Amino acid sequence: MKNTTLGKLEKKSRQYEDYETDKIITWCSNCGNYSIQNALKRAFVLEGYKPNDFLLCYDVGCSGNGSDKIEANTVHGLHGRVLSLAAGAGIANSKMKIIAEAGDGATFSEGVNHLVHAVRNNYPIMFIFHNNENYGLTTGQASALTRVGTKMNAAPEGVNVEPLNACDFVLSLKPSFVARSYSGDPDHITEMLRKGLKHKGFAFIEIFQACPTYNRETPDHWFAQRVKDIKDLKKYDKSDIWQARKIIQDLENEIYIGHIYEDKNRKSFAEVQDHRKGVKTVLRDEVKHYDINNLI
Amino acid sequence: MSRIRIKIAGESGAGLLSAGEIVTRALKNMGFYIVADREYPSLIKAICGSCFRINASTEEIFSLDEEIDIMLTINRSSMYEYFDDLKKGSVWVHGYERLSGINDLLKKAEKRGVREVHSYAREIAFANGGSILMINMVLIGMLWKAMGFEYKYIASEVKEQFKSKPVLLAIDLKCLKAGYDSAEKQLEFAKPKKKTKTILLNGNKALALGGIHAGVRAYFAYPMSPSSSILTYFANYARKTGCVVKQAEDEITVANMTLGAMHMGTRALAATSGGGFDLMTETVSLAGIIETPLVLIIAQRPGPGTGLPTWTAQGDLNLAIFSSHGEFPKVVIAVSNPTDCFDLIQHALNIAEKYQCVVIVLTEKVIAETNSTVPPFKQKKIPIERGLVTGKALQKLKNSDRYKITKNGISKRWLPGKSKAYYFANGDEHWEDGSLTEEAKESGEMYAKRVRKIETIRKALPEPEIIGPKKAKISFVGWGNSKNVMLDIVQKNKDVNYLHFNYVWPLRENLLKKFFANNKNVNLIECNATGQFGSLVEAAVHQKFKKKLLKANGRPFFTEDVENFIKKNK
Repeated sequence: MKNTTLGKLEKKSRQYEDYETDKIITWCSNCGNYSIQNALKRAFVLEGYKPNDFLLCYDVGCSGNGSDKIEANTVHGLHGRVLSLAAGAGIANSKMKIIAEAGDGATFSEGVNHLVHAVRNNYPIMFIFHNNENYGLTTGQASALTRVGTKMNAAPEGVNVEPLNACDFVLSLKPSFVARSYSGDPDHITEMLRKGLKHKGFAFIEIFQACPTYNRETPDHWFAQRVKDIKDLKKYDKSDIWQARKIIQDLENEIYIGHIYEDKNRKSFAEVQDHRKGVKTVLRDEVKHYDINNLI
Repeated sequence: MSRIRIKIAGESGAGLLSAGEIVTRALKNMGFYIVADREYPSLIKAICGSCFRINASTEEIFSLDEEIDIMLTINRSSMYEYFDDLKKGSVWVHGYERLSGINDLLKKAEKRGVREVHSYAREIAFANGGSILMINMVLIGMLWKAMGFEYKYIASEVKEQFKSKPVLLAIDLKCLKAGYDSAEKQLEFAKPKKKTKTILLNGNKALALGGIHAGVRAYFAYPMSPSSSILTYFANYARKTGCVVKQAEDEITVANMTLGAMHMGTRALAATSGGGFDLMTETVSLAGIIETPLVLIIAQRPGPGTGLPTWTAQGDLNLAIFSSHGEFPKVVIAVSNPTDCFDLIQHALNIAEKYQCVVIVLTEKVIAETNSTVPPFKQKKIPIERGLVTGKALQKLKNSDRYKITKNGISKRWLPGKSKAYYFANGDEHWEDGSLTEEAKESGEMYAKRVRKIETIRKALPEPEIIGPKKAKISFVGWGNSKNVMLDIVQKNKDVNYLHFNYVWPLRENLLKKFFANNKNVNLIECNATGQFGSLVEAAVHQKFKKKLLKANGRPFFTEDVENFIKKNK
C-alpha cells in the first residue's frame, strides 16, 4: 500500500518530535497502541495543530497507559467514564479540540451508557475506540466484543455469548460521524483521524487493534488479509446510514474500513445551545461575579 | 401572640401549593418574618395528605413550631389526617358541605375546645361565578379573616398570582372576598410596625443564586429529590445567565462532566442526594489524585435505599466525609438557611480552587425547600479566588510545577492551554509533571504531599460559631439545620448556648475544646440516629457528650423537641 502521509510529514518532523516522549514505553512489543499513537501525532502535525490546541482524555486500560507517553495536555480518568469527562472539558472550552481514547472493556461494558449519550448529544469529541477484543491490562479476560469460542482468562471453555458489533451499535444511535481502521495500517489511521479532527460533533473512530499477548486470534495480519477500504467501492454514499449499517456487518471475511458514515446536518451539542448564540467567549473565560438581582 | 403558626392541609396537586404560596407571600409583604416548609409524600397526585406549615412573626424567627394556632383543611382526607394537630383554643377552618359525614370530627372539635370556622365553600364559589378550582379562594379568604388581618393584603397577593389571567382574576377576587366576609375573626396577632427589608426564598434557590453569582458557568445534574429544584433554577435562569445546563444520563456522568469542566477551567457545579452521591464517589477520588477542584452538593433525605425521598435528615455526613477510596483532602461544608447557602457555596468554590481539592456542600430537605425571610444578599462581598497562575508567570512555568512537592502540599495550578508548560492529570500515581510512577520514594512523597493539604486546609478554615453566651447551663453542638431551631431556642432562653459548625470537615478543634472546657452540660443535637458528627467531636475532644438529642423519622427538629429536652436535662 502506498504511503501517503510520510512525505508530507518530512518537512514537519520537528513538530512531530515535539510530541515524542523520552520515557520508557510500557506497551508490549507489537502492540497496536504504537501505531495508533504515532498516527495521532501525525494527524496533529498534518492538520496544523499546536500542542495547546487540544486536550487528550484517556480511559483506564492499555490505551490509557499512553496518557503520559505523548508530550501534550492529557487527563487520565476513570475506567469507563472518559467520554463524560471529555464532554465536560469540551463544554468548558470549545476552542480546544477534545480527543478521548478508550478500549472495548471501557466502552462496551463499564461505560456503554456514556457512549449512547455522547452520540445522542453529539458532544464535540473525537473518540478513538481501541478495539483489541479483550481486556489486556487485566490479563486477557473476554470483553463484550470477544468472538464466540475464544478461550480467555476466566473463560477457559471459550466465550459462549455472541459479541456486539461496535459500528453497528453506534450506527443504530444515528451518529454524526463513524470511521473504521486497523492498527496494521498507521497511514490509514492517520487519514481517519484527520477527518475526525475536522468534525465538529462526536466522531466515532473504531480501530481494530492488535494485542499480541492476549488476542492471538485476530492479529494485524489477520485483518490485513480481510480489510477492504470503502474508498474502493464504486457506489458508496457515506450519508446513507442503511448502506453503512449493511457494510459493517461482516467481521469475518470482508471487513470494511474507511470513513463509513457522516451526517453533515446533525447539529453539535454547542450548536443546540440556543441561549448562547452569538456568544464569542468560552465558559472557561467567563468566570466572574454575575449580578443576581434580576433573578430574585 | 407574636408567632403565628399556620397549617394548610390538602392533597398534593390540588391547589395546595398555590394556596400556601399566596398566604406566605401576603404575610411576608405585611412585614412578617417567615419560615414556611412543605410536607408531602413522594407521589405526584397524593392519596394521603400533604401540608404547608407557615410560621410568621414580628420578631426574627428561624425554625418551625410543631404546634399550630390555625389550620385550614382543604379536603376531607386531610381533616382526618391532621385533626390531632388541633389543640384547645386552636382554630379549624374548613368548607366541607356534608357536615353529617364528618360528625365525629365536629363532636371531637367541640369537646376539645377547637374553634371551628365553617362556610359552604363550594356554594359560595359557585354563587360568585367560580368553578371548583375557586373553592380554594373562598377558603383562603376565610383563613385570612379568621386570623384577623385586613382584606387588602391577601387581595393584592391574589392579584399578583393571577395577573396574567385577568378574566379569572376578577372571579378569584369575588370568591376571595365572599369567603373573607363569611368568616369571623378568631385570633389576635401583633402586626409588624414597619416593613422589614427581606427577601423570601428557599435554600435551593439560594444555592443556585450563590453559584451563579460566583461565576458557575456550567451546571450538571441528574434529577433526585430534594436536589432537583437547583437544576430547575439553573435551567430557568440560563437564558439570562448564559450558563450551560445539562441534565445528564446518570450521576457518574454528572460528576465526570463537572470534573472535566473544572479541569478545563470554568466553574462548574452539580447537586444530588445521598443515593446519587454514592455513584459519584469514584470520581471524587479521581479529583483527589489529579488535584482538580470539584464542588458537589448533597441534598440529604433519609436513607438507606430510596428511604423517604421527600423528607429530611442529616444522615449523610459520614458519606460525605468518608466515602471514596484512598486518602486525600476533602472539605465538607454544611448550610443552614438561604443566607448560608448563598455565601457558603461561594466559599466552597474558592476553597476547592485554592486548595485544589474536593468540597462537598451538605444541605437538607428542610433547608432546600423551606422558604424563609432573610436580609437581601450582599453581592461581591466574597471575592472570587481561583488560586491559578495567571499573567506573565504563566511563561515561566515548568511541567513539573504542576504537582511539585511542597511543604503545605499546594502546587501551582494553571489551565490546560494557558502556558507552554503542560502536564498529565494522571489518575495513576505520578511524579511532579504527572508522569506515572510506581517507585516507592516518589509514590510515597506524592501521597504525603496531597495528605499534607488536609492540615493546611484545616488551619485555614473558619472556627465554629457560638450562638448565645460563652457559658450556659445547658449547651448544644451541631451543624446544618440544627442552627435554625437553636437560634429560636437561644433567643428565648438566656441560659442556653449552641456551638455551630458551618465547616464540618476537616474539624477545627480549638474553639470546640474551649467550649467543652467552659460548659459542663454539653449535648449533641443531630437529625440522625447514630450521632455521626457527635462521634467525630467526641474523638477530637476526648470527652463524651452529656446526652444526644437525635431524631430520625424524616421530620426536622421543631422548637418543642429542644424545649422538652432542655426541661428534662437542665
